[in-house]
Amino acid sequence: MSYLPCGTYFESYADDQKWWRTNFIKGKMIALVVVLAAAPYIVGAQWMSVLYTINYYILAALGVQLLIGYCGQITLGHAAFVAVGGYTSAMMVLFLPWPQFMVDTGLVYPISIVCAGFTAGLWSVLFGLPSARVKGFYLIMTTMAAQWITLRLVITQLSKIGGREQSFPLPPGVIKIGPWVIDSDEKIYYFSVILVIVCLIVMGNLLRSKIGRAWIAIRDNDIAAETMGVNIIVYKLLAFFVAGFFAGIAGAFWISALFFVSPENYEWFYSLLWVGIILIGGVGSIQGIVFGSAFVVMVFKLLEMSVLTLSDFLMNSYPELGWVTTKIIFFKESAFGLAIIFFLIYEPNGLSYRYWQLKNYFNLWPFSYTGK
Amino acid sequence: MELFLQLIVTGVMLGSIFALVALGWVLIYKCSGVLNLAMGELTMIGGYVCLAFYQRFVTIMPINYAFILALIGTIFVGLILGLLTERIFLRKMIGQPILAVIMVTVGLSFFFKGMVFMIWDTDTQVFLPRVFSIEPIVVGGIAVGAVYLWSFIAAMILMVVFICFFKYTRWGLSMQACADDEMAALSLGVSAKFVYALAWAIAFMAAGVGGTLLANINGLNYSVSSLGLLVLPVVVLGGLNSVPGAIVGGITIGILQNLAGGYGEAFIPGSKEVAPFVFMVIFLLFKPYGLWGWERIERV
Repeated sequence: MSYLPCGTYFESYADDQKWWRTNFIKGKMIALVVVLAAAPYIVGAQWMSVLYTINYYILAALGVQLLIGYCGQITLGHAAFVAVGGYTSAMMVLFLPWPQFMVDTGLVYPISIVCAGFTAGLWSVLFGLPSARVKGFYLIMTTMAAQWITLRLVITQLSKIGGREQSFPLPPGVIKIGPWVIDSDEKIYYFSVILVIVCLIVMGNLLRSKIGRAWIAIRDNDIAAETMGVNIIVYKLLAFFVAGFFAGIAGAFWISALFFVSPENYEWFYSLLWVGIILIGGVGSIQGIVFGSAFVVMVFKLLEMSVLTLSDFLMNSYPELGWVTTKIIFFKESAFGLAIIFFLIYEPNGLSYRYWQLKNYFNLWPFSYTGK
Repeated sequence: MELFLQLIVTGVMLGSIFALVALGWVLIYKCSGVLNLAMGELTMIGGYVCLAFYQRFVTIMPINYAFILALIGTIFVGLILGLLTERIFLRKMIGQPILAVIMVTVGLSFFFKGMVFMIWDTDTQVFLPRVFSIEPIVVGGIAVGAVYLWSFIAAMILMVVFICFFKYTRWGLSMQACADDEMAALSLGVSAKFVYALAWAIAFMAAGVGGTLLANINGLNYSVSSLGLLVLPVVVLGGLNSVPGAIVGGITIGILQNLAGGYGEAFIPGSKEVAPFVFMVIFLLFKPYGLWGWERIERV
């Protein structure tokens, strides 16, 4: 919680707990919505995919942030739950015998999103069960097991359905919400923005409630929380369920952007990436997810662009150095690894900490002593 | 019965390779309390370095000598790489939250993977001429590959060496003290920097041996590094900080996987890969610290 601007104070708890405590915050949020709505026209067509990839990473990292940042349960297998969500949604859309009026009114895909959330949540609870007894490294191992087990099952069991092997292409027009068919980058972007806003508000409100306070108590010290009367098993499993639910929604959204599902979109790499996102953004901070996702996606995009220009330049100017271009691709991966390492070494508090400092600087100006 | 015995024996041999890789995990965890997710890449680096040495040496001397020299060279390179990695990346992370340290090892794994592919390319490479004969050794109707036998022997030797190291040498004891309680160890005059450097050097060296043997079985490519992660159930079964646990866990999981492959595959396809992980999750519900892992007693 950051400091309030000079001279601002509240007279009731209700005012103090409000979402939008000052007019400035209100204005900031409205400006943000305007910017988000206008974004497709500002950035241009080739950056649209970057924007909705950021949104997808926010949705997926939301559950990771909940588990690691707010409940203290380290998870390294979140891509599995995203996979469950994606496959559930795709299977329901493709293979269930829906009545014609539901297809016409575009109810199929929204229903499948909710179902995907619940399936992924329950699947996540299944792997959260050991958290009742194990902690730390052994729990990390369990969540990693979730990754291998889920992907293996998807590859071996689901590939039998429909006789199309592992990847399921979604025919155009299938992804339909109400009257809108999701078929262009712009529509995908707006859909993702709405999902992100809804999910962030739900998450923020959960954290302000009894449930959220119980999670934070468990994170800080679970034995102390238990002695205070928090039922830690129920709340840990609830955390796993909600995290899985968000993951399921993320997975169900992502099939609308990809137009197919296949196991390589849910590799272990992504689980690690999402944990990296919350560490870069800041553990235990909702803005942190947004900052982290934007940072990671932008680093990827910039590395890709620089690699492309560099190899083009080499091809044109020094054709005899063609072998270098095949190596540069791997350089990209190395550079990404180094970026993560140096970020963690030199900026251990994450980007949201810098944002917090910045906000306080302006809020407290010109009397910026904070007690030190 | 014949099939059953064959599956068991192959399981033991396969398990000993799991055990070799698992040893690396256990060593780093035991010494520095870090879960090293770059283990697979360390294994891969070991394999490639050994192959590079072997291809040099085999032109000037007999195969056996060339292989042994290459192995010694790999261990030496592993020592240097381990010290460098610790000095450049991990030393700055002393005292940071454990998740951040784990993510640094993840970053390291991306970095090493990119580097290995940049230097040696992604094609599968094999040890030519073959070091171990391709003919299996047949005892009483049960066939065992020579490579598997040697990796079994190597795992046993390494286990004895490491147990003695941890039990009887000054360095080993100071490493265990550091893992148990860093603050107490520091106040007793143990140098944490030295201990961590040593831990990473040993892990690189053990991974080098493991990687070399793995490369001799299936050839060298990306899959070698993914095996580094597939040994998770092994590590959990034995307990994260137990050297004999890694060996026993490795052999148990090896047998389990083979039995699942031999008998279960007919009913549920894919059970060979999934069985160890399912077993691990259920096992953790009943024994949360593995067979011989240290139990942490917590107080508020």
